[in-house]
Amino acid sequence: MKDPIIQVNHLSFSYNGSPVLSDVSLTVMEKEFVAFIGPNGGGKTTLIKLLLGLLKPDQGTIKIMGQSPAKIAHRFGYVPQDVSFNKSFPISVMDVVLMGRLPFHRWTRLSRNDRIAAQKALESLEMLEFQNRKINDLSGGQRERVFIARALATDPDILFLDEPTANIDSQGRTDLYALLKELNKTKTIFVVSHDTMVLSSYITSVACVNKDVHYHNDAEITKEMLDMGYHCPVELIAHGIPHRILKTHEGNND
Amino acid sequence: MIDALHFEFMRNALIAGCFASLICGVIGSFVVVNRLVFLAGGIAHAAFGGIGLAFFLGIPYLLGTLGVSLMAAMIMTAVVLNNKDRADTFIGILWAIGMATGIILLDMTPGYNVNLMSYLFGSILAVPGSDLWWMLGLSVFTLFSTGFFYRDLLAISYDDEFARLRGVPVNLIYFLFIGLVAVSIVIIIRVVGLILVIALLTIPPYIAEKYSNSLAQMMGLSTLLAVLFNFSGLWVAYTYNLTSGATIILMAAAAFFISMIFDALFLKKPPTLISNEQNN
Ligand SMILES: Nc1ncnc2c1ncn2[C@@H]1O[C@H](COP(=O)(O)OP(=O)(O)OP(=O)(O)O)[C@@H](O)[C@H]1O
Ligand SMILES: [Mg+2]
Repeated sequence: MKDPIIQVNHLSFSYNGSPVLSDVSLTVMEKEFVAFIGPNGGGKTTLIKLLLGLLKPDQGTIKIMGQSPAKIAHRFGYVPQDVSFNKSFPISVMDVVLMGRLPFHRWTRLSRNDRIAAQKALESLEMLEFQNRKINDLSGGQRERVFIARALATDPDILFLDEPTANIDSQGRTDLYALLKELNKTKTIFVVSHDTMVLSSYITSVACVNKDVHYHNDAEITKEMLDMGYHCPVELIAHGIPHRILKTHEGNND
Repeated sequence: MIDALHFEFMRNALIAGCFASLICGVIGSFVVVNRLVFLAGGIAHAAFGGIGLAFFLGIPYLLGTLGVSLMAAMIMTAVVLNNKDRADTFIGILWAIGMATGIILLDMTPGYNVNLMSYLFGSILAVPGSDLWWMLGLSVFTLFSTGFFYRDLLAISYDDEFARLRGVPVNLIYFLFIGLVAVSIVIIIRVVGLILVIALLTIPPYIAEKYSNSLAQMMGLSTLLAVLFNFSGLWVAYTYNLTSGATIILMAAAAFFISMIFDALFLKKPPTLISNEQNN
């Protein structure tokens, strides 16, 4: 039987007084594969940062595995949306991925396990051959793969990916989703993505984020329901599939 | 130059130059990769308030300057950690307050006839032996802290949000290292002076960054470059009887432009300075 892994109650958040999320309540079960969708500026990144404990809610509570996010942050893997920071910083691909293994014992001592985990993560994204290259010498998509590898190197219980496929080619996307599907056997996964078409065959639930959150737990979502006021961009979700975006899930109905 | 080594002041100057280079190479790299150059400038100028205070109260230079610049550094760090985007305004204000207070305190010091020039432009040839012990202590402490926190430092400098998520004590390490920046600045003011301290702290790392594959390499290469600038600057100053702080910095500046031209000709990459501004 699955347990709730994330419980959000009446959460509100604003940046300097302008509200971004208001009165959000959300319960997510263990080992779900949740897609966050919604328009630009809808608050997806903000919601993820709140779940990660990087931002503090103005009101309401977030409990993850029964704890506050800050207490349990070491069990999260995170791929940020913007990975183009600090362009001239001299750092190798390997050292970036090793950040996923922090905290270390001091004096730069890494255990063999840390290196092996980092190499395995790079390998799963077909980036192992670049391990000694400087990260700034890579292309945008390659860099994005490295950041996904960094999140995987953590061996997290919950994986948050904020638009991980923005720069990745179509073969890479399919591979990534297949990899995530595999990881989903043991991990809960949240992914922000606009390619709902590809996503729909991997995910188990959808959350529409646009100031508030509507969570659709492995339900069949019809265009009528969306029209009736879930503020999701309908054309995005229903694109090519007029009547539902989710396949029904085998044996998932409680 | 060899015969000059018979003089104790010259030997002291060379040893001071080596320590200053090590401190500049390590701490300067931290400053450059974390985009803290403006903050370091703020600390240096706030330190001038400390110089004024030291003379006004008649206390030792190191005591007054260290106290004031450490205090300024802690306040600035707190502001940076709370609000990264607006911190520069606040730092600019502390910068000005430090300078203004320093000047007023010097005005009010009775019988004031301090050789202010030596604080503005440094006097490596007049570094007393006792200062060398300070420098040795600071060098050892800097190397120790950097080695101990190297992986954390790497994560914080590259992606502090992720470092925080991984449970790295980001705030603690920021306070520690910006504190070290403050102490370093106070010590290096003796060598090249207040006006030029930021140049010695940042030019070697700027050059080294492009040719390094890791932060550790950058720190090492910056140290070597700084030693080179110190020694060659000192040699020019000694030979032509010029102000050593200024000759050291001009050596560094010359190397900076040579490396820019070299890159433009051979590497076909934009110079570091420009790409830094773009990515701020
Ligand atoms: N650091 C910030 N300071 C102030 N306002 C912000 C900040 N970050 C985001 N916002 C605002 O909060 C709102 C939600 O932003 P958020 O980044 O969460 O959207 P998003 O759903 O992730 O959008 P996108 O699809 O473009 O990534 C936007 O209106 C944005 O302008
Ligand atoms: Mg976003």
